[in-house]
Amino acid sequence: MLRFIAARLFQSLVALAIISVVVFVLARATGDPLYLILPMSATEEDFANARRYLGLDRPYVEQYLSFVGRAVTGDFGTSLRARRPVSELIRERLPNSLKLAAFAMGISLAMAFPLGVMAAVKKGTGIDRAAQIISVLGQSLPTFWVAILLVEFVAGRLQWLPAGGIDGFASYVLPGFTLGWFVVAGLMRLLRSGMLEVLDSEYVKLARVKGVAERRVIWMHALKNALIPVITFAGIYFAILVTTAIVVETVFAWPGLGRLAYEGISSRDFPVIQAVVLTTAAIVAVVNLAVDCLYAVIDPRIRYAR
Amino acid sequence: MKRASAMARVFLFLALLGVVFLGEGSAQPKTELTVAFSSFSTEVLDPALGGHIVKYYLSLMFDYLVGTTPDGQPSRDGGIATRWENSADYKRWTFHLRKGVKFHNGDELTSEDVKFSLLRAIGKRSTTGYAGPLRTLIQDIETPAPDRVVIVTKEPTLIIPTYLSRSLSTEGMVLPKKYIEAVGDDGFARKPVGSGPYKFVEQVTGSHIKLTAVDSHWRIGTPKYRNMTFRLVPEETTRIALLRRGEVDVADVSRERVGELEKEGFPIHYRREEAILTMWWVLGPNGLTSPVKDKRVREALNLAVDRAEIARSIFGGKADPAAVPLGLSWSFKDVGFKVTPEMAYPYDPARAKKLLADAGVAPGFSLDVYAYQLPGLPEGKTMAEAVAGYWEQLGIKTRLIPVDYPAFRKAWVDRATPGAVGYFNIANRDWIGAYALLEKMAYTPSKANDTVNDAEIDGMIAQVMRQTDKDKINALMRNVFTRLRGEHYGVPVVYLHSPYATSKTLGKWNVGRVMYDLFFDQLASGK
Repeated sequence: MLRFIAARLFQSLVALAIISVVVFVLARATGDPLYLILPMSATEEDFANARRYLGLDRPYVEQYLSFVGRAVTGDFGTSLRARRPVSELIRERLPNSLKLAAFAMGISLAMAFPLGVMAAVKKGTGIDRAAQIISVLGQSLPTFWVAILLVEFVAGRLQWLPAGGIDGFASYVLPGFTLGWFVVAGLMRLLRSGMLEVLDSEYVKLARVKGVAERRVIWMHALKNALIPVITFAGIYFAILVTTAIVVETVFAWPGLGRLAYEGISSRDFPVIQAVVLTTAAIVAVVNLAVDCLYAVIDPRIRYAR
Repeated sequence: MKRASAMARVFLFLALLGVVFLGEGSAQPKTELTVAFSSFSTEVLDPALGGHIVKYYLSLMFDYLVGTTPDGQPSRDGGIATRWENSADYKRWTFHLRKGVKFHNGDELTSEDVKFSLLRAIGKRSTTGYAGPLRTLIQDIETPAPDRVVIVTKEPTLIIPTYLSRSLSTEGMVLPKKYIEAVGDDGFARKPVGSGPYKFVEQVTGSHIKLTAVDSHWRIGTPKYRNMTFRLVPEETTRIALLRRGEVDVADVSRERVGELEKEGFPIHYRREEAILTMWWVLGPNGLTSPVKDKRVREALNLAVDRAEIARSIFGGKADPAAVPLGLSWSFKDVGFKVTPEMAYPYDPARAKKLLADAGVAPGFSLDVYAYQLPGLPEGKTMAEAVAGYWEQLGIKTRLIPVDYPAFRKAWVDRATPGAVGYFNIANRDWIGAYALLEKMAYTPSKANDTVNDAEIDGMIAQVMRQTDKDKINALMRNVFTRLRGEHYGVPVVYLHSPYATSKTLGKWNVGRVMYDLFFDQLASGK
């Protein structure tokens, strides 16, 4: 297991190194940030001064080596737009994204588990059809539309919940639901199909024949074995929710990592773009590793090669 | 089935419980003022790095050397300098400083702070709007006494007090020398200290900036609001929802949704003619290129545009047709310039076609039109498409080039696409601001930013800076505007009125006529 983890960590480092080159090149391909930073009245001298001050006048190779050299120590340089250390900005934003993603995932799991399991157990009934409708709506309704609708009606017209910003538990509900609902659909379908397969297996039939209570058969014996694909899906989506909730974070004025990425891209803030992409890649790598490790815990049959 | 319905009841109960529980505590105390804006621009708290776009919150934390009334006039009551005078040769400007002013950390504000701030503002690291011209102009800064500072210029000039006032950028903001030297530039940017009526509490980038009032301030007395919070809310639906819920008191809204809010009884405060939306042609190495080098073609392109229709249908009637290229109308009163009815461009496609025929380009020509959104101008692309459509009707083959603004700006200053058209919503400003802009966009020696290349205008602009007789300056400025209009050096489209919605209980608020400043201190004034 340890060798497996070490190998995966090494692979992740190689991936991060490749990503650092790609993001460095692509960020610069978007154009010169000074045309956004400097006022319209800026002279050629102002441009030259700013370029020198921000280190943009150095050769690309030198800029890259400096970026990588500092990044390994957690220093991603200074934001060209906010003029603050990027690591500080990440530290400010990442926890907000993690909290929102955790909340959204909590909502997803809380909805998907009962619905998915019940849909499988009550296959072909009203519950099953209702679950399928929820699933279709969750995956087909655009997130930005759901978000705007919730803000307009639930927050603005009905005034039940806050419209935006982070201000206590209440402010998590609408963005969390918007993010989570999309995930519910996928989770529920996976659970349903997994449960249908497992419920038809020999060991479940045997448990029933032995007189094990139906509730125990479903929730203890069957569910556990239907979980592997669900965990993979939830893990991947958790990483996605943390890092790419740009629309939800924008609509709900949520200062998270997704918005930081958007602000960085729209202002050609190279250090921010580079830092966010590398952080995102690191999160995805860590979550994937955690998911792989979880497999072994859930299903003792799974053992990683020595 | 029974189990499912029981589950549904539990969910419903929890949801209602949540609504009751979560609904509590959202009301704001009356001592708070919360402002929701779609953008904070750079979110930088250091005046030397933020530039003029973020003045509306910086003006609360910092005092200017020279104060300005909301109408943009220099004020002896609104700034650190209570009076100022010039030497006979207009090369030495002496400012007498207000006594007893303290920074939020307790340090006394002296002439050393003024000198330090100004040197910092015009330093090489600065990105303020007018650092360049001031750097060129200032020769020395003397501090003969703690309450007196003398600015020595290389040339005779009238403009020093205005350049260092609230009516332009942030160069006139006075910063604490000792504090900045102690904590460094980064420390200051993280935790700024000023001498204004509100002091810094916290900033969460991408979320909010929180300020708290000092007990009493010479500018506004005892502030009406104990705390002032600026919330960054990019989505308009969310800003309006926050306004409806009473969570914010002021929000910038689009021209499109003003009617709906007015119907609901929310007061709308307009900054009338906050910006001029004007188009211009990218110059070639030697100025305007064919066919727009021909004055008749330029006039034809102006006559082809139905500005009233654009104002009505694209800007929801919250705009007025503009007649003068680069015509910053807040300066017109200052210099005595009057836009006569004859100056307004009629919508006259027939005459436009004739002018093109006279110029020998009747079958039309190709014209690249850059189309992009701009901060505060979501209608930008639509406007460009509409104008291109009008030109198409003359037989001109327009090609819309969808880019972002920086891409156009690079093409413009590099003169990479001569004859192509771009545009900007240029913030309105007083005469000195207008002069500073013309000196960049209508003055050949400024090279990169020039959009005009006219020797006569160059001569007049060159005289303004050195002129010390205000009447002569006014005459020069009037002549510049007249020639810009007469020679059709651009396509002025509309003046934009910017709406700000407020809570129903906010009361009177003079949003003023000062570039990028909204005078929240006046709103909070206890005087």
